[in-house]
Amino acid sequence: MSTAVTREMGHFFQFLIQEMKPRGPWLTPFNIISVPVILTGLVILYFRFVYGLGAVTNLSQDFPWGFWLGFDVVTGIALAGGAYVITFVVYVMKVDKYQSIVRVTVLNALLAYIFYAGALLFDLGRPWHAFNPYIGNSFGFSSVMFLICWHFMLYMVAAFVEFSPVIAEWAHWEKARKILKGLTLGTVIFGITLSILHQSGLGALFLMAKPKIHPLWWSEFIPILFFVSSIYAGLAMIIFEGTISHRVFKNLIDPDSHHAFDDIIFGLAKGAAITMFVYYFMKALLFVHDKQWGLLGDGWGYWYLLEVLGFVLVPGFMFAFGFRNRSLNIVKLASILALLGIVLNRLNVSIISFRWYADVHYYPSWQEIVVTLMIIFTEIWIFRWIVTRMPVFKPAH
Amino acid sequence: MNSFVYVNIFETKGLEYLLLLCFWVLFIYLVRYLSAPVKNRKDWP
Repeated sequence: MSTAVTREMGHFFQFLIQEMKPRGPWLTPFNIISVPVILTGLVILYFRFVYGLGAVTNLSQDFPWGFWLGFDVVTGIALAGGAYVITFVVYVMKVDKYQSIVRVTVLNALLAYIFYAGALLFDLGRPWHAFNPYIGNSFGFSSVMFLICWHFMLYMVAAFVEFSPVIAEWAHWEKARKILKGLTLGTVIFGITLSILHQSGLGALFLMAKPKIHPLWWSEFIPILFFVSSIYAGLAMIIFEGTISHRVFKNLIDPDSHHAFDDIIFGLAKGAAITMFVYYFMKALLFVHDKQWGLLGDGWGYWYLLEVLGFVLVPGFMFAFGFRNRSLNIVKLASILALLGIVLNRLNVSIISFRWYADVHYYPSWQEIVVTLMIIFTEIWIFRWIVTRMPVFKPAH
Repeated sequence: MNSFVYVNIFETKGLEYLLLLCFWVLFIYLVRYLSAPVKNRKDWP
C-alpha cells in the first residue's frame, strides 16, 4: 500500500517538475516589460518591510489609506465580482450558455483575491497582526473589517474548491475530481453569499468616515451601491479579460468556443446594461434625496457628473445599443468605460474625495504605483502559467 | 385664509416619487428594447 502511494507521489512530482518548465519564447514584449517591474517592486517591498510604510509611500496620519488599499483591495475586489455572478447564472439558474467561461472566471477571481486581498498585508503598518481576527486574538465582532477579513479568507477557500476540479483533471486524479465536482453547487452558493456580503462590506468600511468623504460620494447606502456596481464591474471585466484571452490564448481554445464567445459577450452586455441602469437611478435617487443640487457648481460637482454620466450612463447605453445592434466593438468599448468608471468611483470614495477640504492632498508615490503594477503583472504570470497547463478554457461539465 | 399652499417639489419627496416613476417606465422600456429580436448587422458572422 505504502509502496503504491510512494510510487504515485513520485510520478506526480515528476509530472510537476515537467510542468514547471517554461514554455514558449522568453523574449516577448510582456516579459520584457513585466520582469523589470516585478524585480523593482520586490526591492521596494524590501524597503517597505525593513524601514516601514513611510519609506516608500506618501501615507500619513491624515491619509492612512492610500493607493494600495484604494486600488488593489477596494477596486480589485469589485472587478473580481464576475465569478459570483457567472457561477450564480450557471449553477443556480442553470443557464448552460455560460459554461465555457466559468472556469476562467473563477480562476480570475481566485487570483484576484489572493493578490489584491493579499496586497492588504503591504498596507498594514503591522502586517503580522492581520492574523488576529482568525486566531481569536482581539476579535472585533462589531467591526466591518472583521467581516471582511473572514469573508476574504473564506471566499478564497470557496473559489479554490470551485476551481479544484480543474486541478484534479490536470493531475489526472479522477476520483478526487468526482468528489470535488460534487462539492461545487454547495460551494458556489456559499461563495455567492460571501461575495454579496463582502462586496457591500467594502462600502460599509467608509460609513464611519462621513465627515471626511465629500458628500457627493458618501451615502448611508454606499454598501448597496458597492454591491450593485460590483455586478456590472464583474461582467465588464469578463468581457474585457475574455476578449484579451481569446486573442492571446487563441491556440488553447477550440473554434466553436471562439464563435460562442461572441454570443456570450452579448449576453453579458445585456446584463451589464440593466445593472448599470438600476445603479444609475440609485445614484440619482440618493442625489435627489440628499438635496445635493448645490454641490454641483464647483470642480467636485463636475468630477462627480463625469463619473456618473460619463462612466455609468454612457457605457450603460452603449451596452444596450451594442447588444441590440450586435456590435462587438461598441460592447467592448463600453466594457472599458465601465471598468474605468468603477476604478474612478472606488478611488473617489477611498482616496480622491477623502479629506477633500484639506490643504495638502494625498498622491501615491512612484513606489506605490510600481508595487501595484508588480502585483498585476505577477497575477498575469500565474494566470498564464495555469491556463497554458490546465484545462481552464474547457466548459465546466 | 390661504386657499393655495405652494409645495416646492425640491423640498419635499415629490421629486423622488417622480424619479421612481420615471425609473419604472424607463426600466420596462429598456427590458422591452433588450428583449426584442436583435438587428442583424452585415459584419455579424
